[in-house]
Amino acid sequence: ELPPSHFPAARAAAVALGYLRYLRGGPGRGLQLRELRRARRQDIDDVGHKYYLELELEDVLDKDRTVSCTAEVLYHLGSKSSAPDVQVTVQGELRSTEEADQEFYNRIRSLEEELVAENIPDSHGNVPPELEPIHLLAWAASGYVIWQNSTENTKFHLAQVKHVKQVKRSDEDLQFDYVVLLHEMVSQEVLPWEVRLLWHPRRGARVSR
Amino acid sequence: MRLPVLLAALVAVATCTETFVGHQVLRIVPQSDEELQKVQELQDLEHLQLDFWLAPRGLGLPVDIRVPFPSVQAVKAHLEASGVSYSIMIEDVQALLDEEQMEMLRSSRQLPLDTNTFNYEAYHTIDEIYSFMDLLVAENPNLVSKLEIGRSTENRPLYVLKFSTGGTNRPAIWIDTGIHSREWVTQASGVWFAKKIVQDHANNEGVASILETMDIFLEIVTNPDGFAFTQTKNRLWRKTRSKHSGSICVGVDPNRNWDAGFGEAGASGNPCTETYHGPYPNSEPEVKSIVDFVKSHGNIKAFVSIHSYSQLLLYPYGYTNTPVPDQQELHEVSAKAVAALSSLYGTKYKYGSIITTIYRASGGTIDWTYNQGIKYSFTFELRDTGRYGFLLPAKQIVPTAEETWLALKVIMEHARDNMY
Repeated sequence: ELPPSHFPAARAAAVALGYLRYLRGGPGRGLQLRELRRARRQDIDDVGHKYYLELELEDVLDKDRTVSCTAEVLYHLGSKSSAPDVQVTVQGELRSTEEADQEFYNRIRSLEEELVAENIPDSHGNVPPELEPIHLLAWAASGYVIWQNSTENTKFHLAQVKHVKQVKRSDEDLQFDYVVLLHEMVSQEVLPWEVRLLWHPRRGARVSR
Repeated sequence: MRLPVLLAALVAVATCTETFVGHQVLRIVPQSDEELQKVQELQDLEHLQLDFWLAPRGLGLPVDIRVPFPSVQAVKAHLEASGVSYSIMIEDVQALLDEEQMEMLRSSRQLPLDTNTFNYEAYHTIDEIYSFMDLLVAENPNLVSKLEIGRSTENRPLYVLKFSTGGTNRPAIWIDTGIHSREWVTQASGVWFAKKIVQDHANNEGVASILETMDIFLEIVTNPDGFAFTQTKNRLWRKTRSKHSGSICVGVDPNRNWDAGFGEAGASGNPCTETYHGPYPNSEPEVKSIVDFVKSHGNIKAFVSIHSYSQLLLYPYGYTNTPVPDQQELHEVSAKAVAALSSLYGTKYKYGSIITTIYRASGGTIDWTYNQGIKYSFTFELRDTGRYGFLLPAKQIVPTAEETWLALKVIMEHARDNMY
């Protein structure tokens, strides 16, 4: 059993959140951790450390509701190149974003010029409302990067979207090439990452290599 | 090539400003050892006056270089001749700076006329904050005075506001904000705290009773060089701006530079990292000036150093797992302070020792102050928990300051009621 106020549980929770943002995030949904309720750690010989977490989440666009979920995060022993295994089970339903997603999709598809933006949020924390969906998609994109690159000795947050460029495609996906700045809490470094994100209202988000 | 450089230098001297017209920021991502070496060679060519925003660290890691206009052609030629590909991240640095300046001016930014019309709901420049301090002193000369405790690496004054109703060397409370320059909500909260202290005293409520027997010292811009850098060049700069011999990288982490477990695990010996502890303890004037002040004052009873983000209230130690002797008391005070903080807007904080709650960190401020005998040594990490992180929207400044103040009052009152 781990105290939720101690950092090992908090780091595992950040990984679970990154994973979930990648899986379920979108232009109309921004999942945040409201509270880490419980945490347990299991040391598995020759395999690694497995964390069992009980989390309470909220959607930044719908803060009156919360959703509970459980997560398992397995950090593999000794390996630097292997992403943690994550499983998340959401209890109950996340608010539907079908309408907002479709609206966003149509808006971007109908743009004459490809969307380009920088510094989201800006130095003063501002995000223009029309760029909030792009900001939330960056959470999904950086969620993938965070999940893939986390260890028990790191805790990543998205610090800022430095640059984003839409790339028009001949298929039905939207493509956004992001440069995100990730803040790593333990080393305090701010690391730029390039991430290419594909998104479709029904197929969701995918990071493209 | 020489004449433009000379002219530019003359113009700069004449106008006392440095201009970045035509400067470009190039990005190189070395893909091979040869490429990495070519880039590293550039570091030795001092006459090019290159400014590495991201120093060469290894293969596949970006190198960002600000190239002054006179050197642009030469650098590009060097790279192209060596087959090293680059991209232009910023076509004209001055254009970007001009844009930023305009944006800052646009948001109703003038030097304040008095502390009642000062906009506490916005982020301010150093000049505006220093101007605020002078106004506060001028408006309340019997309560507030401004002390200069030293100068930063770039020779900016380090100012501390002293709030005192009299006495001689009364037991005191110290609060600092902005030691890490990118944590903008902290300097902004410090400004609010200063005004709040004055208001409480005028209305004979809140901390007025504390001021009957204790003094309060408040350093708002604890790292002015870093703060200036966040306003002009890199919003996410954390450290000081010192240059120590033997490295092209700039800056020391002022929260790893104190003489408590200095250089042990929990800080970095690499000058190019964000937690670089510096060449020796108190190498940074921003740190040394506080050390000298604390030692010569000799009667500080509570010391609070304010950071963001994560929503945590922390007590020592960070450099060792050994709990402090006063662990239980500090834990209880923290619980009370956090409850008071939450009572206002429901903001949730966690609390505990540094090493159990966030990470091992050596050479930290409150580890040193605690070891000096200042029992009530605390660090705050203010809002938020990562949604905006360092880039907290300005409209959250006042709510953050208000709730944090309730926690600070708990700590101050406890210190007053448990004098040692």
